[in-house]
Amino acid sequence: MRYIKIYLACLKTAYSRAAAYRSNFILGNLMTLLSNVLIPLVTVLVYSNGASFPGWDIWQALLIQSVFAMSSGAASMLWGGILWSTMGHVQEGSFETVLLRPLPPLFYLAALEFDPESGGLFLGGLTMTIICTLKSGAAQPENILSAILLFLAGLAVMGGLELSMAAISFKWVGNSRIPEIADSIKEFGKYPIEIFPRSVQCFASIIIPVAMIGFFPASALLGRLPAAAYISVIPCIIFFLFGIWLYDRMIKKYEGVGG
Amino acid sequence: MINAIKQKLGICKAVAAVTYKEWSAYRTHSLVSVFVGPVYFIVQYFIWTAVYGDNGILGGMELEQTICYFGVIALIGYLTMDFADWNLQMLVQTGKFLTFALRPMHHRFYALSQKIGHRILGFFLEFLPCFVIFEFLFKVDIIPPHIGWTILSVGLAFLMNFYVNYCLGMTAFFLVRADGIRRVYQLAGSVLSGAMIPLSFFPEPLCRIMMFLPFQYTGYIPAMVWTGSESIGAAGLTIPQAVMCQAVAVLLAALLSEVIYRASIKRFTAVGA
Repeated sequence: MRYIKIYLACLKTAYSRAAAYRSNFILGNLMTLLSNVLIPLVTVLVYSNGASFPGWDIWQALLIQSVFAMSSGAASMLWGGILWSTMGHVQEGSFETVLLRPLPPLFYLAALEFDPESGGLFLGGLTMTIICTLKSGAAQPENILSAILLFLAGLAVMGGLELSMAAISFKWVGNSRIPEIADSIKEFGKYPIEIFPRSVQCFASIIIPVAMIGFFPASALLGRLPAAAYISVIPCIIFFLFGIWLYDRMIKKYEGVGG
Repeated sequence: MINAIKQKLGICKAVAAVTYKEWSAYRTHSLVSVFVGPVYFIVQYFIWTAVYGDNGILGGMELEQTICYFGVIALIGYLTMDFADWNLQMLVQTGKFLTFALRPMHHRFYALSQKIGHRILGFFLEFLPCFVIFEFLFKVDIIPPHIGWTILSVGLAFLMNFYVNYCLGMTAFFLVRADGIRRVYQLAGSVLSGAMIPLSFFPEPLCRIMMFLPFQYTGYIPAMVWTGSESIGAAGLTIPQAVMCQAVAVLLAALLSEVIYRASIKRFTAVGA
C-alpha cells in the first residue's frame, strides 16, 4: 500500500512537471508519436508496390506494428526513464542519492522516472490497433482478452530488456549507445515471425521473447494463434524477473567514482 | 596560395588527429555498431526475402540489389555520421562558442576537421568490421563495381551531411532551443534519405520532389552509386549524372551555410541561453 501511494505521488509530480511546460509536452508527445508512426510506413510502401508478407494482408501486417507501437509507448512510460537515469547517475557518480532512499532503488527510479511524454505514442498505437482490428474484421471478445494477456506479457519483455540494458550501464559507463542494442533485438518483434528461420523464431519466442511485443498479441486479436503459443508467456515472465535480478546484482558493481 | 592550402591542411590534420585520439578513449562505444549493424541487416534480409517471394523486381530493384542496398546504406552511415548540429547548438547555448569565435580559424572548418578525425575512427571501428561481416560472413557482394565514383559520391555525402547539420546547428543563434527543429529534420531524414526503404518504392511524384531536398544526397544516391545502379531516382540518372547532382547540392549547401553563418554571427551574444 505504501509503495502504491509513493508511485501515485510520483505520477502526480510527473504530470505536474509536464503541465508546467505544456507546449514542450505536446510537441514531445507529437514527435514521439510521429517517429514511431514511421514504422508502418515501410509496410505501407511494400504493399502499395504490389508485394506482401506471405499470408498477411496489409491491415493484419499493420496490426502487428500498431500493437508494437502501443507496447513501446507503455514501456517507455513505465520503464524508459530507468536506463537514462541509471546511466546518468553512474556516469556522474551520483547513484548514492538513489541508494540512500528508504526504498528499493529500482522501484524508486521507476516511480521517479515515469514519462508522460510517451502517452501520445501509446494512444496513437491504440488508435491504430483499433482501426487495424476493425479493418481486419477480427474483433471477437475472447480474442481481445487473449490479446490483452499477451500484450501484458510483451510489456514484461520490454521491461526485461530495459532493465538488462540499464544493468549493463553499471559496467559500461557512459555509453549512450546501449539502448541501440535493445532496439536492434526488438526489430524481430515488428514483423510476422514466419518470415524468419526456425532458429530465429525460437530465439524470438523463448530466449528473448520479443515476438510477444507485437506479433503474438496481434495474432491473438486475429484469432490465428495456436493454443501452444501461450506457453511463451512463461519465458516473458522469466525474462522480466531476470532483468530485475540482473539490475539488483549490477548495483553491487557501482563504484561511485563516475566515468 | 599553396602555402595557405598547406597551412589549412596542417590545421585539419592536427584537429583530426586530436579528435581521433580523444574519441579513441570511447572506442568500445563505436563497437556497438558491430552488433547493431549486422542485426538490423539480418532483419532486413528476412523481411525482403519474404516480401519479394516470387516477385522478380520491386520498386525497380531485384532482391540481391535490395539486400546489398541495406548493407551499403549501413556502411555509408558509418562513414558519414555527423553531430555538428548538436555540437554547435551546445556551444551557442552555453556561450562556449565565444572561445571558437576568438580563434584565428573559421569554426566550420574546425568542426569539419573534427568530423574527419571522428569518422576515420569510425572507418576502423565500425565500417571495416561491418564490411567484413557483410562481405565474408553474410556473403553479400558489397564491393562497389565503380570504386572511383563510389568514393566520390560517399565523400560528397559526407560533406552534404556536415553542411546541412551545421546549418541546423546555426538555428541555435536564432532560437533558445533548437532541439525541435533538429528532431523534425532527423525524422524527415530517416524516411526521405532512403535509410528505411529505397526511395524507388515511393510514388514517382514524391521521388521527383525529393530531388530538390537534401536528404537523398546523404543516403539513397551514394548507396545507388555504390551498388552500381544504371538508373538512379525518378529522373533515371546515370552514375556520373547522379554524382554531378550531388556535387551541385553540396555546393548549394556550402553556400547556404556561409550565408546563414554571416547572419548568425551578428546575433551571437556569448552569454548563453
